[in-house]
Amino acid sequence: MYLYESIFSDMDPLKKSWLSRVGLVFIAAVLVEIISIVQYEHVRKLMQEEMEIRSEVVMGAMMQRIEHLLELTEVTMKENLWDVQRCLSRPDSIFASMVRLIDDNPYVVGGCLAFVPHYYPSVGRLFEPYAVKEKGKITVQQIAGPNHDYTRNQEFTFVLDSLKPSWTDPYSYGPDSLNYATYSYPVRDYGGRLAAVCGLDIDLTWLGDTLNAHQPFPSSFSMLLTEEGSLVTGPSKRRFSPELVSKTVDILNGTLPASAIPGLAIRKTKMDRDPYWQLVQVYKVDEAFTRMRRMRRQQMIFILLALAILAFMTNRYARSARKLREASEEQARLSGELSVARNIQQEMLPKTFPPFIYGSVESAREVGGDVFDYFIRDGKVFFCIGDVSGKGVPAAMLMSMIRSLFRMVAQKEDNPSHVLRILNEELCRGNDSNMFATFFMGSLDLYSGEMRFANAGHDKPFLVSDEIALLQAKSNLPLGVFPDTHFEEQTLTFAPGTTLFMYTDGLTEAKNIERKAFGRGAVLEVLRGCTTGASPQDVVSSLSEAAHRFAGEAPQSDDLTMLVVRFDPGHILREQIELSNDLSEVARLSAFVKGFCAKLPVDPKTASGLRLALEEVVVNVINYAFPDQEAGTVSIQADSNYHEVRFTVTDAGIPFDPTSVMEADTTLDAETRPIGGLGVLLARKLMDSISYSRRNGQNVLTLTKTIS
Amino acid sequence: MTTTIQEIDGKIVASLSGELDTAAAQEAEKALQPLLSCEGKEIVIDCTNLDYIASSGLRIFLSILKQAKGVGSRVVLKNVNDVIRDVLELTGFISIFEFE
Repeated sequence: MYLYESIFSDMDPLKKSWLSRVGLVFIAAVLVEIISIVQYEHVRKLMQEEMEIRSEVVMGAMMQRIEHLLELTEVTMKENLWDVQRCLSRPDSIFASMVRLIDDNPYVVGGCLAFVPHYYPSVGRLFEPYAVKEKGKITVQQIAGPNHDYTRNQEFTFVLDSLKPSWTDPYSYGPDSLNYATYSYPVRDYGGRLAAVCGLDIDLTWLGDTLNAHQPFPSSFSMLLTEEGSLVTGPSKRRFSPELVSKTVDILNGTLPASAIPGLAIRKTKMDRDPYWQLVQVYKVDEAFTRMRRMRRQQMIFILLALAILAFMTNRYARSARKLREASEEQARLSGELSVARNIQQEMLPKTFPPFIYGSVESAREVGGDVFDYFIRDGKVFFCIGDVSGKGVPAAMLMSMIRSLFRMVAQKEDNPSHVLRILNEELCRGNDSNMFATFFMGSLDLYSGEMRFANAGHDKPFLVSDEIALLQAKSNLPLGVFPDTHFEEQTLTFAPGTTLFMYTDGLTEAKNIERKAFGRGAVLEVLRGCTTGASPQDVVSSLSEAAHRFAGEAPQSDDLTMLVVRFDPGHILREQIELSNDLSEVARLSAFVKGFCAKLPVDPKTASGLRLALEEVVVNVINYAFPDQEAGTVSIQADSNYHEVRFTVTDAGIPFDPTSVMEADTTLDAETRPIGGLGVLLARKLMDSISYSRRNGQNVLTLTKTIS
Repeated sequence: MTTTIQEIDGKIVASLSGELDTAAAQEAEKALQPLLSCEGKEIVIDCTNLDYIASSGLRIFLSILKQAKGVGSRVVLKNVNDVIRDVLELTGFISIFEFE
């Protein structure tokens, strides 16, 4: 028990299920065996019954045939007796009548007329003419003599005594030991005196052969016995040993127990008339069913073999079904994860766009290797587009990394070439899979139209203004190739209305069914078709439509990404005011900011914050940039593209950077807190950025805040 | 910017109304001078009608608070609106004043 348990508890489920399958097959085999045995017994019974019936029919037919033969002989005797009687008075014609007698019946092979002693005194005591058929010729001769005294014959005396016709038991006679039986009939002469016994011999040798000509089994045979049970005729010596036959006869006569030959079955039928012979059929019960048993055994082996094959196949099937299930579960898990990855990636892409920029990614697969991004700070839109080598998950991972790096680095670093350098160094670090990415980034000053850009092997963007041209961007190497690549920075100032169209090769290499690429020429055509006033979103959707129309039914083979930036100062709200360096001017400043904010979609709290921030820095300038109480002016320019507000505060006072003033420590308690430093703190906290520069002998302070 | 000072139930209540920006601060500082000699009475600055405050205004509040604390009194800001509360939070003043 312990062993059993330990065996099963240690087994893996695969083995267990295999064992259970083997168990099932075993049970099935036992069931099949039981069914087979029951069936066998049933069939055996049926067969035995059938055999008995058949044997009865066969024996009945045989018996009928013998009886018929006997009757024919008896009829022959009766029909010819008058002729014999007629000839009794003329002894010279007796021979002829004997010939006629035996000629009448083909089964009769011989006939005799044994006269009572001294019937014809002239011929002596014994007289017996005997006719015999030999090769179709009948010869008659007198056979009685000292060597053949028929008066001693039992049959002769029996017939004479009883005056009844009688059949002898079969006997062997002659050189061939043929089997004969004789029908004896008492013959009276016309005077009514008993004259002779007429005998007709029939040959029974054929009987033995006929009886055994068709036996149902190899070991079965038939015999003919006399009424007393002695053998008349049986199977030939060649087929069955005389010993077996005589033993069987002994069993039949009860002189030997039935157990002497085990499994012996005997069927017996007896003539219901003289000579009351018995017909016997003998067979071995076992042997009768040997073939059936052999058949059953073969059948059993076949079934077991089939079951084993079945078990093997179900095992194989179960195994492959499990594998299939595991694979599909794995597939489901992977696709679930992929869809999560897709969501993450989609989340990374910008969703909302101010009017001057628009971008889109159409991934060929769940996740893609294309990237674009933008953000706005300090009055500039920073944007990038990139294409990671390869597709699918590895490309997507690198894409995520690039996008995160871009966000991190470009938030602090204004110079595109520096951003690219840092990105490149990071990508080259541990880049064992040798992946790389083409990348283009730029920053467009939303107010001046100045664009600074650097390229890392990306397709040159289109520059769309009065005419369409490729941006003359230096190609450089892609990111991730060599860590020390230098990415040259370039600058271009856009005229108002200029549009920069960036794309990945998924656009130009979009294929139709004939494997033809969309191409740069087609892109150019579509761009030409765009009206001058078309928004970046319009441009992207026109091209997307055109590319899809071109590709038709052909599946998208690569990620398709587009990014459009437009310099549109028409969208910019700009107001200016000049203040003298007097704190009373703050009221004017307040009115100015309020008026400006009223034209923008800002809530009162944000408007109040903008006003406060600007007031604080302007007050600082008034207080500190003009230390000698000299008169001066502070000019303020307020710009907004409805996405961002930018204040530029310019004065010609002494160099003064308000951002360098120590901020108040907001964690101190009332007693220890200094009075100053609150203004800069507030301005910093209320705005997104404050930057100071000294240009052309002026202090230039720029404050920006995103409002949408 | 208007300022009124009353003594109610032994408390000095200063009610401010309008915008306390940098320009208004000089005037307000003078108007609120009496609060710097509160003689231990509790000071309530009622901001119900105060719409705006700049850092100069905050500085006045801070000097009133410092003086009051120095004589063991307290300063309570009353009915501060959301805009001003934001400014107080940004500057950390929310933790040194009492509110009601």
